[in-house]
Parts: sequence; structure tokens; C-alpha cells
Amino acid sequence: MKRLLYRLKTAPYFTGLILFLTILALNVVIQTPARFFSAANINSLVAKNLPLILITMSQGLLMMSGVIDFSVGVQVSLSNVIAIMIPQSLGLPIWVGWLCAVAGCVAVSAFNGFITTYLRIPVLLSCYSMVFVVKGLNVLIMPKPQGSVPPVIYKTYDSVLLGFLPFSALILAAVLLFWLYLKRTAFAKALYATGGNLRHAYSSGINTSAVRMKVYLIAGVINGIAGLCMTAMTASGDPNAGEVYGLKTVAACILGGISMSGGWGTLSCALYGALLLILTQNGVSNLFNFLSRAIPGFSVTNYWQNFASDLIILLALILTVFTNKAMMGSIKKQADYLALGGKRNEA
Amino acid sequence: MFEMRSIVKHFGSVKALNGACLSVKPGEIRALLGSNGSGKSTIVKIMGGIVRANAGELLMDGVPIRIESAADSRSFGFAVAYQELSLLPQMSVIDNIMLGHEYTRRGGLLDEKRRRESVRGLLERLEIKCSPDALVQNISPSEQSMVEVAKALSREPKFLLLDEVTASLHHDEVESLFRVLREEKAKGVSILIVTHRMNEIYQVCDSATIFRNGATAAEGPMSRFPLNEVIYHMTGTRVKEEAAAAPRSTAKGQDALLRVEHLTMKPKVSDISLHVDKGEIVGIGGLEGQGQAEYMKAIFGDLTPDAGEMWFEGRQLRLKDTSQAVKRGISYISGDRTKESVFSLRTIEENLTAGDAALGGVWSWVSAKKIRKMAGDAVERYQIKIGAITDSASSLSGGNQQKLAIARGIAVGPKLLLLNDPTKGVDINSRNEIHKILRDSSAEGMGVLLVSSDTEELLGICSRIYVFYEGRVVAELSGDQRTEENIVRAMIGGAPEGREEAGT
Repeated sequence: MKRLLYRLKTAPYFTGLILFLTILALNVVIQTPARFFSAANINSLVAKNLPLILITMSQGLLMMSGVIDFSVGVQVSLSNVIAIMIPQSLGLPIWVGWLCAVAGCVAVSAFNGFITTYLRIPVLLSCYSMVFVVKGLNVLIMPKPQGSVPPVIYKTYDSVLLGFLPFSALILAAVLLFWLYLKRTAFAKALYATGGNLRHAYSSGINTSAVRMKVYLIAGVINGIAGLCMTAMTASGDPNAGEVYGLKTVAACILGGISMSGGWGTLSCALYGALLLILTQNGVSNLFNFLSRAIPGFSVTNYWQNFASDLIILLALILTVFTNKAMMGSIKKQADYLALGGKRNEA
Repeated sequence: MFEMRSIVKHFGSVKALNGACLSVKPGEIRALLGSNGSGKSTIVKIMGGIVRANAGELLMDGVPIRIESAADSRSFGFAVAYQELSLLPQMSVIDNIMLGHEYTRRGGLLDEKRRRESVRGLLERLEIKCSPDALVQNISPSEQSMVEVAKALSREPKFLLLDEVTASLHHDEVESLFRVLREEKAKGVSILIVTHRMNEIYQVCDSATIFRNGATAAEGPMSRFPLNEVIYHMTGTRVKEEAAAAPRSTAKGQDALLRVEHLTMKPKVSDISLHVDKGEIVGIGGLEGQGQAEYMKAIFGDLTPDAGEMWFEGRQLRLKDTSQAVKRGISYISGDRTKESVFSLRTIEENLTAGDAALGGVWSWVSAKKIRKMAGDAVERYQIKIGAITDSASSLSGGNQQKLAIARGIAVGPKLLLLNDPTKGVDINSRNEIHKILRDSSAEGMGVLLVSSDTEELLGICSRIYVFYEGRVVAELSGDQRTEENIVRAMIGGAPEGREEAGT
């Protein structure tokens, strides 16, 4: 038990998990357990936010390997507009459109990976400019929000299996299973090493450029899938809908415990971080609903809700940074103690 | 048998290797010796595939080969344990050791059992006591060095290269390392050791190659190289049989400008005392990374020492940050131009007056005319070769950039000037001019404390020289004791002839 607790405490997702559980408890209190844990509520929470959760995971993978990509958000929109426009304007079957949507995201990610790993363009510059390139592309493909998908798709996406299991949760589970497999391969070790210290990884005989490139490709696939989920969720296309996600994913990853400088974290960090963002927003909006019902005449705009939830996220970020620093400090102290205390007789 | 012939490598204008030759036979432990900057680490990096040679031949059993990448180097059977370690601190000991050559099962999954067994075997063999699951950042520095060796050994190399891995090892760890090295040697592995601990070399090495200024100075069986001979080949001059003890140039610490007592900063500096008098140039010598940089930064208030006291002009010196140091009259100049001294994109004028700005308040008025005059004077006085005073500092050559940094440091009129390897990578001409500037300033009463990795420089301008070794002072040399041989001998941990109580 003690060992288990120690392992949990030193796990990268520890802070993220604690923050997530806290905000979860608050949500349950605000909404009452019966209503929060109802199948309909859970389903709507997961289904509505799956795109964000998925791209936070792809961002997490990228950050673990030591790079960052703000364009994950616009890639979701790219996938969305391709999936809608190819069947609509070219008359091709829907599955062709959906395949092209994923392929589009993979292409963008691959290009991004190429310029950062092989041309060595600083990653912040390249992904920042890619945001505008892809945004332009989206609007070229679909100038204004439009389109529709067959009811069977969005009905399936919104369905609840066996009375409690949201269909969207299956997609999430599939991605998590893929990570569980990946984590047990040599590739994962190479990924962490590349993120941790590029030169050291290279001198250990790892082809660091190839590793990063593969991470970008995987991230592209996940972004594409996230876009398809968005398509199924909204049942239409919007060239600008995904943009807000880009920076949010970075915040979510850091909240979850993934290191900004790479080499530290797991995909569960990304999951907790994303859920933390979602539940904060959800909790705040429910709180304001409750207040407006409880206090006659109380009404505020959405801006105030956003302000409140973003303030909470800022506090959480500060907390994360400080706890991480404190953890590193205690680890260092321990190492010093070992270095000096362990071999005192020799000196 | 692996051979390297007339290897040339330059980084920019600095020649690291200039026709170096090296060979190792199967079942041989060879020492690679040489002083700072003689190219030892560079040649190891060439073998490790991290650095590519500009010219020269690599022969494996007489067949020319090319090492283009770290992966190439592995495939030829090289494994390197690097001085600066190639470990990933956030990863576990197992992951670090197995990195780059994992055991896998079907479907690409890692064979956890085999990985664990093989790592456990290695740890036992090298008598490393840490847990295989511990993160590398949580184990002690000496264990980290041993893990670095284990990582190299785990690849079952034909050529094992150890670049100063013993520097942070304890006595018993060195023993178990050498036992393993002898076992590997018996198996026919070629081993190359770079180290500065001479006694270790005589313990395990069969033969030695000695580098001087990027070229091979001598080569042969260890029996041919007693200590004096090694020092001769490293420096190029003979050790004089008797070095006469000289009287101290100044009364010890009487009216010292700076007096440092028992300064300790774990793990780099342990209990170092020294003093600098008015108008004196004091040198700190030693191999790179023996705590000199940390020591200087502690005096300048950039790092906070764990213990020890400092006295400046008879008053105790307790600095919270570097701006306080400047206000008390202490200037610090780093030899690392790009990182710590020159604002390369700003103009020469701004660079020269940046130090002066630190003296006034943040909002104090700075007159453009005054600045121009001040900068112009400095350029003239220190003979900095510039185009226009409004050009960016990056337009200057390395030597002139360094003069710029020194001029800035002196412009604020410090009582004490701290210099950390100010002439590293600076051409001989500028170096002489920098020395002249220092001599002139010290004649005017300024105290100078100079860290240098260049023995000649220390001998040239310093009246007293402290030699650092593993965070301690092993020798304080003044007068006739200041010889190149004595410095080199102390640098590699040996006591100089006519040595006095160190560090008082």
C-alpha cells in the first residue's frame, strides 16, 4: 500500500489527477450526484468534448517528444471541412471524404514535422505560421459554415450503449488502448529520450528525427479523428470552430503534468488535463445557472462565465508549476543526501 | 585493431585536432592523456559519431571506414561513456541502460523480463547499488557515472571508450570499475580511457597516447612513461629536478582586498579559502569544471554559497544579487561571450556603457553625449578594432568582443575584477593586449582574480596561482614555484614539489 502510494505520488499525472478529482467533486456537489452521474449528462459531457480531449492527447504526445503544435485546433477544422465538402461538392461517398479528412490532417502534421525536425525551424515559429496557413485552407475549402451529415452518423455518435456507456467513450478508449500498447514498445522509450534530451538520445544511437516525425504522424491521425468526431457532433461544417482549441490543449497538458520541455508525462496526464478544463467550464456554467435560479434578477453574460473559469484555470496552472518545483526540490535534496551521506567514509 | 590517422577537426577558426593519430589493439587498455583543449574529448566524440572529422583516415583492421552518425559508431562496435554523461534524468535506470538497443518480443512489445535481468546483471557486476527502477535524477552523481558505464557495457562493445568517467567516482567504485575493465580486456575488448587521475592510469593501462595541441605527442607502452615523462609530453618542457621554494610575495591576507574563507558550495566547491591583495593579479588554474566557475559566481553574488565567509575591503561581503556586487566595486567578466557577456545585436557603444548603467538607478538620466564620449575613450584606450561605434557588437572579431567585455568591466572603475577564462578562443594578439590591459589596471591598484584553463596565461600575468582540483585547492604557487610543470602536476591531482599547506 505504501509502495503504491509512493508510486502514485511520483507519477507524472499526480498533480493533474488531484486537481481533476477536486474539480470533479465540486461538479458533483453543484449538480447533485444523481444528476451529474446520469447517463445523459455523462454522455453529453464526453460527446461534446471528445474533440478537445483527443487533440489534447495528440498535443501531449508532441510535448512529450519535446515539440509543440498550436495548429492541432485548426487541423480539427480542416478534417471537419474536408469530411463535409468532399461528399457534398464532389458527390463522392462519405467514407472517402472521411478518409481524405484524416489524410489531410496527417499531411499537415507531416509537413509541420518536416520543417521542424529536418529543416530545424524553431517549433514555435513553424506551428504558429501553420495555424494561419491551415486556417486559410479551411476557409478556401468551405467559405462559410454549412453542410450536413446523415442522421445515422450523429445518432450513433450521441447514442448510449447498454444504458450507460457513451458511444464516444469507445473512441476515447480506443485511443487510450493504442497508447497502452505504444507505451510498452521501444518506440515509447525513444520518444521519451528524444523529448528529454535530443543530443543524449542521438548519442545513444536513436534516430531522433525519425522518432519525432513518427510522433507528428500519429498526432495527425488523432487530429483527423478528432475532426471527424466534431463533424459527427455538430452534424455540419464550420471552418473556424476548432481554432480556439489550439492553445487550450497546451494549457491542458501542463495542467495534467506534461513537462513543457519534453520527456516527462504520459497520455493520462493529457486526459486529466483535458477533463479538468472541461469540468471547470461545466461547473462554472452550472454554478451560474444555479445562482440565476436561486437569486431572482441575477443574470450575467457568457463572458463572465468564461472569465471565472479561465481564472480558475490560471490558478490551477500556477499551482501546478509550484507543486512541480517543490517536487523537484525534494527530489534534489534526496539525491544530495544520497551523494553526501551514502559515502561519507570515503571523502 | 582500430586506427585513426592524421585526424583534423576545427570548430570555426579553432583547431581542436591537427593531425592526431590513435590506435587500439584488441585486449588492450590504452590511456589517452593530454592537458585542457588538447583534443582528447573531440577524438572520442569522433569515434562516438557525434562529431565528424574534417580530414583524416579511420581504419578498422586496415580497411577504411566512415562513421557518419552515432548509429554507425554503434554498428562498428563502439560504445562511449561520456564525461558529461548521455543519460536521460527523467527516465529510469533500466530505460537508460537499454536505450537504443531494446529487447523486444513479437508485436514490438518490450521484453520486460529480459531487460530487467540483463540490467540487474550489469548493476551487480559493476556493484552499483541503486534500484533499476529509480529515476536517474534521483541517484547520486557517482552512481550516475557508473550507470553511464553500464550503459556502454550493455551493448557488448568491441571498443569501449571511457571519457573521464572516474572524475566523480569514489574509491571503491573505481575499484569495481577496474575489475570489470580487466575482465573485458581478457575477453578481447579494446578499451580507451581518458582520465586525469595519473595513479589510475598506472593501475590499469597497458599503453598510452599523449596529445598536445591537437596532435599526438607520444605513444607507447605504459612502462615507457613515468610521471615526469608524461608531464614532459603534455607540456613540451622538461621538469626541473629541483624547484626552489620561493618566499611569499605579499604578507598573507593582511590588508587583503578580498579575503574568502572556507567557501563551500556542494557539490562543486568544498572549503576553499583565498585572498587577493590590492594591485595584485591572482590566478586560478586547474582542469575545466573543477569548481572554478562556481567559485567566481559565488564571489560575484550570482550563486549563494552553503558555507563560508567573504571579506571585501575589511568589511564582510554578503551579496544577495549581482547588482550589489557591482555597487560594492566588483566586476565579473565571463569568457563565454555568447552566453554571458556580449549583447551581440546591440551597438558597441551600448555594450561599453551597459555596465555603467548598472551603477545608477533604473530611471537615472543617461546623456547620449556623455555615453558617446565614454565609449570613444574606451575604444581608444583599449585599442578595440571597430568599424563604427554604432555597429553591432557581432561585427567584431572574437578577440575584440572580449576586449569589449573587459573594457565594460573596467569602465565602471571596479576595485576587484573577476575574470572567468577571458581569453578562451582568442587570438594571440588580442590576448596580449588583454593581458596588457589587466597589468595596467592592476598597476593602478585594481585587484584581479583570473580563472584560466591556459597555463601559459597564468604564468604570464599572475603573481600567485591557486590550482583547483575536484573543488579543492591543491596548490598555491608563487614566486619560483610558478612553473608549468608544477601547475600541470597539481592540475592532475599530484602534489607539486615544495608544496605548502594548501588553501590557507
